[in-house]
Amino acid sequence: MEQQEKNAPDRELSFVTGGEVNIRQDPWWWLVIAVIAIIVLLVMVAPVPFKEIVVFARSGILVTVLVTVSSYFLMLILGLFGGLGRLSKNKLIFGISSLYVEIVRGIPLLVQLIAWYFASPVAIQKIGVWLNFAPLIEYRANPILTAIIAITVCYGAYMSEIVRSGIQSIPKGQMEAARSLGMSHFQAMRYVVLPQAFRVILPPMGNEFIALLKDSSLVSVVAVADITRKGREFMSAHFNPIETWLMVALLYLVLTLFAARIVSYIEKRSRHDR
Amino acid sequence: MTEPIIEITNVHKRFGHVEALKGVDLTVMEGEVIVIIGPSGSGKSTLLRCINRLEEYEKGSIVVDGIPLDTNQNINAVRREVGMVFQSFNLFAHLTVMQNLMLAQTTVRKRSKEEAEKNAKELLEKVGIPEKAQSYPSQLSGGQQQRVAIARALAMNPRVMLFDEPTSALDPEMIKEVLDVMAALAKEGMTMLVVSHEMGFARAAAHRVIFMDEGQIVEEAPPDVFFVNPTQERTRLFLSKILHL
Repeated sequence: MEQQEKNAPDRELSFVTGGEVNIRQDPWWWLVIAVIAIIVLLVMVAPVPFKEIVVFARSGILVTVLVTVSSYFLMLILGLFGGLGRLSKNKLIFGISSLYVEIVRGIPLLVQLIAWYFASPVAIQKIGVWLNFAPLIEYRANPILTAIIAITVCYGAYMSEIVRSGIQSIPKGQMEAARSLGMSHFQAMRYVVLPQAFRVILPPMGNEFIALLKDSSLVSVVAVADITRKGREFMSAHFNPIETWLMVALLYLVLTLFAARIVSYIEKRSRHDR
Repeated sequence: MTEPIIEITNVHKRFGHVEALKGVDLTVMEGEVIVIIGPSGSGKSTLLRCINRLEEYEKGSIVVDGIPLDTNQNINAVRREVGMVFQSFNLFAHLTVMQNLMLAQTTVRKRSKEEAEKNAKELLEKVGIPEKAQSYPSQLSGGQQQRVAIARALAMNPRVMLFDEPTSALDPEMIKEVLDVMAALAKEGMTMLVVSHEMGFARAAAHRVIFMDEGQIVEEAPPDVFFVNPTQERTRLFLSKILHL
């Protein structure tokens, strides 16, 4: 009951602010517009080199978005199972998920990326030789796929802990009430605990998206042609680091600020439902 | 009151080093209303929670409506027949009152949405708050929440209702509205086990009052005998404390 009382003011507030994408209700949209305006202004005032940079990096923007969105959704799924595993009474499942979380959290993402890209193909080829199995011997790493796997595995570990803490924040009585009505453990999780935990972990989930978007720039070291890599290629061809990195920074800023607004919109709406 | 519906035999339960139940025997007849009292830590809530296996017990047996509490399948079967009302209500915070009443009906009893809704409406009428169907639990008073919790348990058509200190978390002026619903239920012939210190309710509705202390049943008697003429010294001592006489 204590918790419900705490939640009450939030709910009232959400009725006032509402949840529509509306500049008047969320003035931070002005910042997104301002950054876009600066980019447009730079491109119009000085097409060389700014327009050239944007045109050159266009495919990189798509790659960054693709890598970010796909690893984000995959890592949510992995995090859900990891989080449930961390709460499992089954010692084996608990052990495996805890080991996964502890190990992955202790290794820098950059190191993990490099290992996935350079070490894992060699390992797979060696296993192929050992088994004398041609498809494995000829295995070559696909940069984008490898990058998505590496980020998913790394962020899935952080997500597991977010999911675990979210589930643990739901009072035990909710599970007991569901079980006392005859629901199975799975049904109680699915209909009672997880929907409530989801609301709790929505803000950290949004943070993870923005952090992942920024960390996706690390994939540029494993031959993925994202915004950062495109920037590096442009700079080494034209020798204009100031303009190049100004534009690259602005492009990331548009993406992260835009994502932050979407996250805030979803948060407000989910409070509105309550 | 013809056949036994709950048979508890020699149940032992420990939490770590603390022995919460030290061999409890109790037979509950169909339609019987039993009020369990006792000091905190006497094991009365634990006993209640063992009946629908929210707590596991180490020794002894509990049979509900002919179903022994052993396999997971049987435990779920017993839980379908036994409704429980908690001290802290435990309404599903993310669902409306209506959805709270419908969820287990559709997922466990596999009723259609229409049937579940019809049932839910009738029960809200019965507990006196049909107008709150679309409210969320946090918008209700404690007394209203507890009445919804009773309706939610009743929606499963249980044969037994367990009440674990249902009025202890309520403001004094809300206790009566919950007790009225419980008294009406008792009158209809529902089998009820109530852990409560509401002596008025015990006198008016109970067939038997049980006094528990240190994990054992110390005394049991019909309320008129129990309150007027307790045989055990411990019972007398406890009653003198809670009756403020």
